[in-house]
Amino acid sequence: MSALESFLTEVAGEIGADEISRSDESIERYGENTLPGGDKPPAAIVYPGSTSEVQAIVRAANIHKIALYPNSTGANIGLGTRCATHAGQVVVDMGKRMNRILEVDEKLGYAVVEPGVTYQMLYDELVRLGDTLMMDVTSGPPHGGVLGNALDKGAGYTPYFDHFGFSCGMEVVLGNGEILRTGDGSLDVDNLANWHTSKYSLGPILDGLFTQSNYGIVTRMGMWLLPRPPAVRTFHFTFPDDDDLGEIIELCRPLKMSNFVPSLFRVSNDLYLCGTEVQNPEYEASGGKMSISDEGRKALHMAHGLGSWTVSGAFYGPSMEALEPQIQRVVSHFGQSDKARYVPHERAQEMAPLETATKAFSGIPWSGELGLLKWRPGGGNSWFLPGMTMDGAVANELQSICRGSFEKHGFDYMVMNVCGPRFARGLNVLVFNREDDDECQRADACYREMSEAVIQRGIFVGRAPIDYHGYHMDQVMPAFRDSCNAVKSALDPQGVIAPGRYGIG
Amino acid sequence: MKTAFTDQQLARPGYTEAAKILKDCVHYGFCTAGCPTYVLTRDENDGPRGRIDLIKAMLEKGGTPEPETVRYLDRCLSCQSCMTTCAVNVDYMHLIDIGRVYIDTHFSRPWRERVFRSALANILPRPRLMRLAMRLGAIGRMTHPLLPASLRSMVAMLPRVDRGEILRPQVYPAEGGARYRVALLQGCAQQAINGDINAATIRLLQRHRCEVVIAEGAGCCGALPLHMGRMKQARANARANIAAWKSATEDQLDAIVVNASGCGTTLKDYGHLLADESDCQGSAARIAGITHDIAEWISRIGLNEPIGLPEFKVAYHDPCSMRNSQKVTGEPRDLLHRAGFAVHDIPEAHFCCGSAGTYNILQPEMAGQLGARKAKAIASVGPDIVVTGNIGCMVQIEHHLGAPVVHTVEMLDWATGGPKPAALSGECLKERSTRQITPDVPAPSDTPPPPPSGGAVW
Repeated sequence: MSALESFLTEVAGEIGADEISRSDESIERYGENTLPGGDKPPAAIVYPGSTSEVQAIVRAANIHKIALYPNSTGANIGLGTRCATHAGQVVVDMGKRMNRILEVDEKLGYAVVEPGVTYQMLYDELVRLGDTLMMDVTSGPPHGGVLGNALDKGAGYTPYFDHFGFSCGMEVVLGNGEILRTGDGSLDVDNLANWHTSKYSLGPILDGLFTQSNYGIVTRMGMWLLPRPPAVRTFHFTFPDDDDLGEIIELCRPLKMSNFVPSLFRVSNDLYLCGTEVQNPEYEASGGKMSISDEGRKALHMAHGLGSWTVSGAFYGPSMEALEPQIQRVVSHFGQSDKARYVPHERAQEMAPLETATKAFSGIPWSGELGLLKWRPGGGNSWFLPGMTMDGAVANELQSICRGSFEKHGFDYMVMNVCGPRFARGLNVLVFNREDDDECQRADACYREMSEAVIQRGIFVGRAPIDYHGYHMDQVMPAFRDSCNAVKSALDPQGVIAPGRYGIG
Repeated sequence: MKTAFTDQQLARPGYTEAAKILKDCVHYGFCTAGCPTYVLTRDENDGPRGRIDLIKAMLEKGGTPEPETVRYLDRCLSCQSCMTTCAVNVDYMHLIDIGRVYIDTHFSRPWRERVFRSALANILPRPRLMRLAMRLGAIGRMTHPLLPASLRSMVAMLPRVDRGEILRPQVYPAEGGARYRVALLQGCAQQAINGDINAATIRLLQRHRCEVVIAEGAGCCGALPLHMGRMKQARANARANIAAWKSATEDQLDAIVVNASGCGTTLKDYGHLLADESDCQGSAARIAGITHDIAEWISRIGLNEPIGLPEFKVAYHDPCSMRNSQKVTGEPRDLLHRAGFAVHDIPEAHFCCGSAGTYNILQPEMAGQLGARKAKAIASVGPDIVVTGNIGCMVQIEHHLGAPVVHTVEMLDWATGGPKPAALSGECLKERSTRQITPDVPAPSDTPPPPPSGGAVW
């Protein structure tokens, strides 16, 4: 009997044979992703129902030396979906059965979730409880995982935008099969009082080790929730020209440094917003080999009432009327630019390309932004996520690099900069035809070219598609890489958890 | 997704459309998360992406479909939840219909199944026959253990009482002078099971100054046969309805009003259903264009001032045909709110209750799981009254919840001067006070507003 067969037999004894899938269809679909590097079919999929079952799977993997690949809900679109780092790993899918909301503390404002809990599930539960608490959401799929997104350093837009930052207290099955509780959960008693309320307990903060890594499988996590404000009022400004980005960043920075605007800013370009509504009208004519023309972009501006850039933010308060003074302040602030055109909340609600922003600022899961994935046919998309300082000149330089690479390789520059006080993350979306080998090669070349170019300026990415985990880990200083691998050896000595994920192990 | 159809295949009905739809699917898999059967089984072929692949393989191969393919396609609810999350807008609704038609014409089901499906397709669309079947069902309940499994599930789902009358062709005058002339699709199975819904609809429309036409010859919309793969029968139903509304009203209708949302979805798609029939293509598109769910229509013409009922806690269930296909979600909630009720959403609103036309009869096991799950979600809200807009959902949810479910239109009728819904007559509803109905735009005031319900923090 092979090691895999022995492993699966043992796991079947622990979780039941029905909770293992090796059907051709499952293997094929779990191997699919949207990246240029091709599919990576797993060896099998197992569906644990509890932390003890995860522990049993990890222990069996240690005995039989089987590589596992945990999934929360498998919706990491553009970064690998639910596909393992390498073909032949066994996917541990916790979306099927480990999808319980273990606790919602309405008094202290937190929820405790298992990995399979989606944004939609948590939203539904909070509404059911009276809608007094608001979670932060991404603008990605409503069935994205709350826990998985936080561990991959995902973010939203409301005051609780930093998903890892607003998580508190984990339960982890380490690679060696032991169970670890982090933070105040580390206390060796059964009646933990502060596990999900205190981030800073005795000893080192271990939680960060489990972000973008492969040292264990997180089976439970606390997430802090904002008291739902009775009113959310968004505001939007459009700017006509590409180079206006620099001015926008200069206008946004003071509003965030003072925290006058409590949300993050979404600074989106034309194609990022309009791409949710339409397909590239010039794709067929160019055979996918050229970027959309300036005339094509201008036509989209006209059709959707937008410009080259749109900046969006939100205020929270007791009523729409009570927020009027803040709105007037921000309108006056952006009025310093003679290029800014104000789009009020009420108007934005009627504009399809801005619907995602109004929903996301309100903590409501929404699938509208997924529409931009159909900008080109063929289903390929890969996200390039560099960071930048909140400096207008840097922003325009980064725009020039990325726009240049997109155009050189025949793609359409599509980006949203999510801006805080000092730093912004650029969400560059490479949409390409994955059924066309030439486009796949160009998408790969474009990604690597942009990566090399930003590294020259001391800029790194914040997340990466699975195809590029090893590539990016090779770009860090040796001591960082060695430290990551040393932790791997300590917590997962047999290297059974997702070897290769984020270039570790 | 690339397809491999031959030119000969593409010349056959449905193939060109199927090829176009299949091309759009790129296997993102967003559809799976919202698919009730996939969520229950985690079997790829029980999800839309898997079924799309099965349809593709079936059509490309030609000949007799594999029994496994038939089984998986039969298990699809046609709830269209998948279409709400698909990033590339794959037209699954029409693809699954093409698949079902292919199965109906190329696959020989076991004879018991054939007889059963044929009986369903012929009884459900005929209200008087349906009433007779319901009465026979009462006998069937007494002999329940002796019945074959397929009949047992049907008998179990049959309502125990039939309510209200089966409508005859006639015109109901508007109260206070007609502002609008509308035709009501009186439905088939719905009026046999619960004629109160039509009665409430007619009263509500009359009260809102609508003359209501029940046209001679109008009947089943075609949805039931369509979802069983019987395209010919569905098209014949559609043609009959179009002819009925044309001859009865000389095209002077402001709207066709539908109070069974499953039928509404089909009517709104008549332009597509009859796209190949040049003689009635134009009429079909016109009928589709003026078809409105009752909630849409009342929203459009404005709800009368409510009489001031207690502010009952209402859990509103979105029928899939309204939420996913017609995208009518705000109107019923808004109307119920304006009528003075406290409207609450139900968790997992995107999840089908398992009714899905004939699904709970043909697929009782899966439908049972979904019905129980929906009932649990509804119970978690703790409502005084459960409300929805489709008869199939009403029957299914009542069966699993063990409590009455009321149609939106019955609530609106009650709130604007009609009788209390019959389903609530024996119910002991909680004491609630009446909400002060405020105008849409609050009057200016010098006094500060009261603190919001979110607490003093904001």
